[in-house]
Amino acid sequence: EAGSGTRKRKSRWADDEPKPVIQLPDFMKDFTGGIEFDPEIQALNARLLEISRMLQSGTSQSGLPLDDRPEGARSPSPEPIYDNMGIRINTREYRARERLNKERQEIISQIIKKNPAFKPPADYRPPKLHK
Amino acid sequence: QQIALQRLMLQPAPTKVVCLTQVVTEDELKDDQEYEDILEDMRIEGGKFGNLLNVVIPRPSPDGAPSPGVGKVFLEYADIDGATKARAGMNGRKFGGNQVVAIFYAENRFHEGDYDG
Repeated sequence: EAGSGTRKRKSRWADDEPKPVIQLPDFMKDFTGGIEFDPEIQALNARLLEISRMLQSGTSQSGLPLDDRPEGARSPSPEPIYDNMGIRINTREYRARERLNKERQEIISQIIKKNPAFKPPADYRPPKLHK
Repeated sequence: QQIALQRLMLQPAPTKVVCLTQVVTEDELKDDQEYEDILEDMRIEGGKFGNLLNVVIPRPSPDGAPSPGVGKVFLEYADIDGATKARAGMNGRKFGGNQVVAIFYAENRFHEGDYDG
């Protein structure tokens, strides 16, 4: 009885189910599958990138968002603070940088709140609960 | 993920025709029964991915003259969606022990009977 019925022969196709083209390791599914595509998180990530770029772009003529209206037209600067060498600490660039850094830390906190798996950059300091 | 994306970009643009290469041997195709079996296997399996219109398996000519496209199997789908799924789903699978390579094939060449691409 050597395989009498040709109708009931086995398909030449191997049994294995077609594999998905991209097989990600399990630990990555958390990132790619859901939360990473959350539009809110995407917006936060985009802003984070923007801030990082501005902070890295150097001091002078930089991407720092400075109010470029003339001195009289913009809001007054705070009283100058000088270091013990007599150099002003709180320059406009310095303050812009501080603002960005603060916003950056806040955004990272928000992302972590939404996605505990998020790996913050090395220089991120979690906010202190009390000062 | 970056690499996977690049690989997708390097793929030729999807068409409605999927070409399976390194699938069948000349000897298998010479045998009428085997040819019919292979055709049926392709219809059944290919039909799982979408609306399969046509299966073409070029056969060697009986006089032994070289015949274009022998060893390939062409699956024509009603739409790109079906062809795309078939290409992704069949590429890398084994058919009769051969590892299948699935690529998109230019529709115009397929319709002109040009199987040698």
